Amino acid sequence: MKERFIEIFIKSFAWLSGLLLLSAAFVIIGFLMIKGIPTLSLSLIFGDTSPADAFLLRRQVLTGLFPAMAGTCLLVLLAVGMATPVGLAAGIYLAEYGRGTLKSFFSLFCDILAGVPSIVIGLFGFSLAISLHHYIREIYPCLLISALALAFLVLPYLIRTTQFAMESIPAEVRLTAPALGATKLQNIAYVLFPRSLPGIASGVILAIGRCAEDTSVIMLTGVVAAAGIPGSLLSAYEALPFYIYYISSQYRDAYELQTGYGAAVILLIICACLFLAAFYLKNQLMNRMLYRQ
Amino acid sequence: MDKTTIAETGFLGAAVLSVSLTALILIFMLFLGFPLFKGGSFITLLTTPWNPDKGLFGIYPMLAGTLSIVLLSLCWAFPLSLGASALISVIAPAGFAKFCKKTVQMLTGIPTVIYGFVGVFLLVPFVREMFASGSGMSILSASLMLSMVISPTMILIFTDTFESLPASYSAAADALGASPVQKLVYVILPYSRRGIFAGLILSVGRAMGDTLIALMLAGNAVAVPGSILDSARTLTAHIALVIAADFDSIEFKTIFAAGLVLYVFTTSLILLVRIIGGMDMKNR
Amino acid sequence: MTENKSNEMKIKTVNLSFYYNHLRVLKDISVEFPERSISAIVGPSGQGKSTFLMIFNRLWETIPDARMEGEAFIRLNNKWVNIYDRSISLPELRRSAGMVFQTPNPLPMSIFKNISFPLKLSGVTEMQSVDEKVESALKQAFLWDEVKDRLTDDARSLSGGQQQRLCIARALTLDPEILLLDEPTSFLDARSGQIIEDLLLSLKESCTILLISHYMDQIRRIADQVMELSGDTSNNS
Repeated sequence: MKERFIEIFIKSFAWLSGLLLLSAAFVIIGFLMIKGIPTLSLSLIFGDTSPADAFLLRRQVLTGLFPAMAGTCLLVLLAVGMATPVGLAAGIYLAEYGRGTLKSFFSLFCDILAGVPSIVIGLFGFSLAISLHHYIREIYPCLLISALALAFLVLPYLIRTTQFAMESIPAEVRLTAPALGATKLQNIAYVLFPRSLPGIASGVILAIGRCAEDTSVIMLTGVVAAAGIPGSLLSAYEALPFYIYYISSQYRDAYELQTGYGAAVILLIICACLFLAAFYLKNQLMNRMLYRQ
Repeated sequence: MDKTTIAETGFLGAAVLSVSLTALILIFMLFLGFPLFKGGSFITLLTTPWNPDKGLFGIYPMLAGTLSIVLLSLCWAFPLSLGASALISVIAPAGFAKFCKKTVQMLTGIPTVIYGFVGVFLLVPFVREMFASGSGMSILSASLMLSMVISPTMILIFTDTFESLPASYSAAADALGASPVQKLVYVILPYSRRGIFAGLILSVGRAMGDTLIALMLAGNAVAVPGSILDSARTLTAHIALVIAADFDSIEFKTIFAAGLVLYVFTTSLILLVRIIGGMDMKNR
Repeated sequence: MTENKSNEMKIKTVNLSFYYNHLRVLKDISVEFPERSISAIVGPSGQGKSTFLMIFNRLWETIPDARMEGEAFIRLNNKWVNIYDRSISLPELRRSAGMVFQTPNPLPMSIFKNISFPLKLSGVTEMQSVDEKVESALKQAFLWDEVKDRLTDDARSLSGGQQQRLCIARALTLDPEILLLDEPTSFLDARSGQIIEDLLLSLKESCTILLISHYMDQIRRIADQVMELSGDTSNNS
């Protein structure tokens, strides 16, 4: 009898937890969609300027989200551009050349880096900027510093994804090219790395998502609420996640609050697209890489 | 230098660079917060309240804030995540389970700032109405939303652990006539102890390191919280708030102390998980 | 079994022992294999046959915790060479001693690219000689007629037996003096296995072949001598 009771209890608890979490998630997303979707319009993004003028940088967009979206875009491109080569190379090193204690040591440090809170990474970026400021007057928290700090943030993810993808390659495939006379580097370049591409590609896309949504790092390294399109790497800039945060406490009227909802929906859509892209890309590449029969 | 040596030096160089980054962060925290650390004053820093008018710059209230929000959010998140993972991996019918899992995977991609934003305009007023005290910005609100943030990842770690049960154990249990729930309780859970522990520890780290939820929902008052309806400030929110202060002031330097505490805490958690073992550190 | 008409020796080992961690899998083996013949290696499972084969192309060196004692020599260009000497280039050794595995392992590329892959690795790029070598390798492997019209098809679209012949052709591209085959017909049907046996007999003229096999009638059909690896001893007969 007691067995029966425990069984029912566990089943109910599991169902309750699952449904509770799911409904909470749906309520959150639903609320956002209901409030945010009605606000979506070209004027939300471009204000009074025409889209063409905005894209060609002919005129400033003063009351729209375009500068924030552009800022986020540039940020992501710079950060991922900087982090990917280093992350991939380090991941290849750990998977193929690292051995024994040195490898555990490196791997541990990467895990620690991954565990450092993003605000501390932002603080580090800020400190870096201030220290460099002593030597180079022009350096101050700005687009470049933020991109650099974001690169630090996503670096461990890229390293781990690359390492894991390469280490998952089965032994038979690893030995094929060396048996034909390939050097270690040739094996990596012609067989191992191409085969790891699905995993690595989805890792890169997830890194892109991480950079697009981050707020803590950029808060400390140069993002502002109103700056227009950044003129150079060393200028201030806007970003979508920060705008959302800013509006939540600093909105002056109902209209500004609306733009906050709109911005949140746009950010959500961007992240959803990236997520789906990562999923799709991984499947596509996997089909090509693995044995089909 | 031939191509091979250049390439291999490049790989090694990248690895060394990444590793030194980790060390550099620690060094910067120590260096910039140095005036606060000399002569054992760091310990006092951790136990003193914050009262700039009286010249007290202790970060104890922030420590208390972080700990209370993190512990409370785990109180909600851990049992619920465990239950949900059991649902997905064992109890629910295959179609529904797959749907749940996909939803959870998508939830991990939602930016924290969006949870915070919805929290401000949906959860906070609700708490304010329900409990008729204060502004609604409290430990309660922050911990509820924080548990929503950390649950998806925890659920995925738990389901991964459950599903990594060797097929032979599963087959043995089935052949002996165990029901799914019995298999869960008597075979899967004992086997998954380490993985569950690792998932828990990682979520603690994640919760501790979160800035936005606390910043937007916990009120940021600098007093040691007395009840869950009180406003509180976390170490992370403290950093975000004080960054605008004058660089040379003592007040400013406390953010490096906060950063150091966070760094040490999260690093210890990582080391703990390493020692206990039990998980493939994939891209979680 | 045919008699070898006093062929010179091609491969030899002296007091060869092998360890995985602390487990000894090969004990004190001193053996010689004559050139241009097929030598079969037999024995119960797990007694180190695959390991023994990997001695000769040093492929075991990628396995952690593996250790070898003793020496191994191959007569290359009419001179005995210690293949574990520091001056030996691994990639070159592996081109002289080609290996074919139990499960066919075509790379995810076209048939043509699979066969020409070793050429690419060794730096041969001139189109005409590549085409010639690919054709000659496929002919030697009894596969040319079946694939000559679809060289750009994905190699994985071939049947199991064809894939294995592809792997043999691929190993032949660089004219190796030695072929190491690890149970090449284990996963193939009887007919495909037969084709490969005929193929090996034809290759005997130009290669020294070491073949691991579980099939006694296969060995009776094509092997010139048999070496038995069982427990800690080895018998050459």
